[in-house]
Amino acid sequence: MNDTPEKNGLAARLLAGQPAALARAISIIEGEGEAVTRLLKSIQPNLGRAVVVGFTGPPGAGKSTLVNAFIAEMRGRGKTVAVAAVDPSSPITGGAVLGDRIRMAEHTMDSGVYIRSLASRGHLGGLSASAARVADLMDAAGYDVVVLETVGAGQSEVEMAEMADVRIVISAPGLGDDVQAIKAGILEIADILVVNKDDLPLANRTVRQLQSMLALRAPSDWKVPVLSTNAVERTGLPELADAIESKAALRTIKGARAALSSRTRRLLAQTAAKHVEDLILRDQNPTAEAIITALQQADIDLRTATSKILKHMHESLPDE
Amino acid sequence: MTEVLNMPARVLVTKIGLDGHDRGSRIIAAYLRDAGMEVIYTNPWQKIDAVVALAMEEDVDVIGISSLATDHLLVPKLMKALAEAELGHVRVVVGGIVPDEDEADLLAAGVSEVFHPGAMREEIVSSVEGFAAEATNARPQD
Amino acid sequence: MNKIDKPVSLDASADEWQRNYDKMIGQDRTIKNRSGIEVKPLYWPQEDTDGSYGDKVGFPGSDPMTRGIYPTMHRGRTWSQRQLIGLGRPADFNERIKSILKSGASALSIIPCNSVYRGLDCDEVEPEILGTCGTILNTVDDMDVSLKDIPIGELSIGLNDPNPFTMLAQMLIVAENRGIGWDKITGTSNQSDYISHFVANHMFYRLSLPGARRVQMDTIAYLAEHVPNWNALSIVGQHMQQAGATPAQAMGLTLSTAIQYANDCIERGMDPDVFLERFTFFFDISISFFEEVAKFRAGRRIWNNLVVERFGVTNPRAKRFKFHAQTSGLDLTRQQPLNNIARVTAQAMAGIFGGLQSMHTDGYDEVLSTPSPDSAKIAISTQNILKHEAHLCDVADPLGGSYYVEELTDAMEAEILKVIAQVDAQGGMYKAVENGFVQQMIGASALEYQDQVDNGEQIIVGVNAYQEVEDASARPVLKRPPPEHMQDQVKHLKKVKAARDPDALAKGLQDLRDAARSDDINVFGAELDAVRAGATLSEIVEVLRDELGFGMPLVVA
Repeated sequence: MNDTPEKNGLAARLLAGQPAALARAISIIEGEGEAVTRLLKSIQPNLGRAVVVGFTGPPGAGKSTLVNAFIAEMRGRGKTVAVAAVDPSSPITGGAVLGDRIRMAEHTMDSGVYIRSLASRGHLGGLSASAARVADLMDAAGYDVVVLETVGAGQSEVEMAEMADVRIVISAPGLGDDVQAIKAGILEIADILVVNKDDLPLANRTVRQLQSMLALRAPSDWKVPVLSTNAVERTGLPELADAIESKAALRTIKGARAALSSRTRRLLAQTAAKHVEDLILRDQNPTAEAIITALQQADIDLRTATSKILKHMHESLPDE
Repeated sequence: MTEVLNMPARVLVTKIGLDGHDRGSRIIAAYLRDAGMEVIYTNPWQKIDAVVALAMEEDVDVIGISSLATDHLLVPKLMKALAEAELGHVRVVVGGIVPDEDEADLLAAGVSEVFHPGAMREEIVSSVEGFAAEATNARPQD
Repeated sequence: MNKIDKPVSLDASADEWQRNYDKMIGQDRTIKNRSGIEVKPLYWPQEDTDGSYGDKVGFPGSDPMTRGIYPTMHRGRTWSQRQLIGLGRPADFNERIKSILKSGASALSIIPCNSVYRGLDCDEVEPEILGTCGTILNTVDDMDVSLKDIPIGELSIGLNDPNPFTMLAQMLIVAENRGIGWDKITGTSNQSDYISHFVANHMFYRLSLPGARRVQMDTIAYLAEHVPNWNALSIVGQHMQQAGATPAQAMGLTLSTAIQYANDCIERGMDPDVFLERFTFFFDISISFFEEVAKFRAGRRIWNNLVVERFGVTNPRAKRFKFHAQTSGLDLTRQQPLNNIARVTAQAMAGIFGGLQSMHTDGYDEVLSTPSPDSAKIAISTQNILKHEAHLCDVADPLGGSYYVEELTDAMEAEILKVIAQVDAQGGMYKAVENGFVQQMIGASALEYQDQVDNGEQIIVGVNAYQEVEDASARPVLKRPPPEHMQDQVKHLKKVKAARDPDALAKGLQDLRDAARSDDINVFGAELDAVRAGATLSEIVEVLRDELGFGMPLVVA
């Protein structure tokens, strides 16, 4: 692979908005190495234009159908849309059947829409690193709106949703412990809460539950709205799109580059934290074990232990 | 870090034309998934241009067309459309009820293999894996 | 079950059965086998040792119907031989159906081209695939040509005609034009079960789930009033079993679907004692011989009890579990295809012993291509051989009372009831397909069976055992309609379309649109008017898709 930003090179074709180049770049970006770094570097000047919207929520909430309706709404507003839809991989084989785009079939032939299915496993550096890069590539290819769709079941999906500028958490009535299911971890990151399938009984109750849970959140400059939608009947979509645009407008006031650097910031924080976690929780590294024992026996305090761990971390990492 | 990830094969499993029986395509999708591949699965009745668009957007290595009626007669058109879209490296396999006479036509049109009822899991999986590797090698260099 | 301690005599029940038998059989004949032994129409135990025989088995034509829905069963009236036929142009079909009727078929079925299933007229379809699987039926004119010289008022007619039932509308207009009263029209809408199309055979699925439900309910109501001898509803277990459901699951899901439709009818104010008389079922017969026999016997018993418990049915005719069945093409192999004749024979026997009312036997070449005329003839002969040479019809429920078959029937009943309970827990069949529950169940079973074949646990002759070097010459020669036939048909449609009165057509389609929009106008009535005004299949389906939603099945990978 040779990714010099020369004319007709992959990066040039990507920046010219050719979907085939975007498709290829997304496959390449999953790996690591010189080519990837070069590709990422050559698109840097063109980043920060797209609004990255994350859609997540428990299985059965109707995410794909809602994303489908959202695409139609944004197309109606004259925006182009790129979607990265993540389906879980088999924990045993790593294989996956990616079927999210079945619900988005009406947009297949629309040149203003690009949809890419991704499997949740097999991403070097984690799913959120891949998602952030895929979003960058879609942004560089010139799409106005980039959608990251995940099943909000696990930690990595929550982390992926964090890569978005506007984070939408979807629930639906009748998912059993639905509200409980989204409470853990994911509610905190939501910018907009959506109760989909609002024709079902108990929809109002789900809305009220979410509103009361939000009341516990610390006040900020963005008041998280709870919206009702029906993705099949296509109701509530203008309100959802308006809310997304309002939230994105806040971002624009601060500047697109600020949003971009905040994505980088979150990604770096997640990745660094993961390294520390691996060292302490999984690696059984002798030095780390010694520090843990010392802390346990109160030979050293927490502050000292932390600094020792980070120092060891620093020494053990290879120089780039 | 200079690790290179061994990317799983990406396969589009779909149906063109008019028929809607999907037992075969579901089983094939599960076979390929269980062999560690990433399968993009669609509704039936895909138009030729939609299959081309899907193959392009999803950057697949192999397209599997399931045909139980006579929809495989459209596959030569698909082969032509793929070539025109500069997706000539993508391998196409057909599975289902395909009469002998038609099989010859499909192979002549560039289809890599035709699987008939009774084809076994291992045979299908290893063929598709092989075709995916071929597709990777045949890709235009970026 | 009211178990009893001492044996009871079955004489009273047997007498009752004999009376009903005599009444129904008309003139019975004495049947002797080759050894000169007289063959009775029914065999049963001398006494019911614990009450279980009366509870669970009983006599044919009486509760709990395990042994069949009529006292005479096949000795009185054998099943209808209903071969599915459809090829190319309406005139080709007409020629073929006449020869099939001559060879002994007693009922007529019409299979349209796959393009018809998708709601497309022939001028909208890729020419390569046009007319390769069935007949093109886009207009009243097409239907008229298909049924030329066929006495449609005298034959039972099966239409493979999915919602919104354009073929039925065309046929009713043909009857009207020929001066045949609609009360003379008998038969069944074979592909009326939109739920099964949503789940499994998506090819038939044209309108959105709620839209299909609306049209179906309107059609049932309309036909009950105007075409009283037509079975508007055939509940199809076949698609689910073909898609991978086990025989027990397929039966359970079919009965759950019937429960759903019955509840829908009741909600519309219809009387179960009336509308259930017109419910019919359509099943797959796999080669798992005893399992299939037990499936049918158990399904019949469950339905018989269920309609009383759930719907309070008192009319005995409304309890009858009438079913058509088709031998399963899935069991047929491409390898050594003539072996398929033996497979179809075993499948057909299971269906006969299961007590079916109507049967289609597959051509042995179905797995190679669209069946050839020769293979269709062998398929019909298979039924005649079983009937006349093998004497399978002399005795009602000949396997009844077998330790194996009775225990298996009970076990299948328990499995089937389990499936029905699972669907109930989802809120009924409509909900259980809408949320993908049923699709998941079927997909898992399909994979499990395929695994058994792959690992050799299930032997398939010529496929994973007893393989032989293939002799391709044993395969029938493929025949497709010549391309110019299809070009003619497209030209003909253009001519028919051009000859219509544009104002009447526009009004017909607008009225159909208005009916779909309103809650009070019967859509099928409006559809008949539109067909009368010359509207084509595609024009009708388009209007309804526009108003009631396109039918995209829930595909579960």
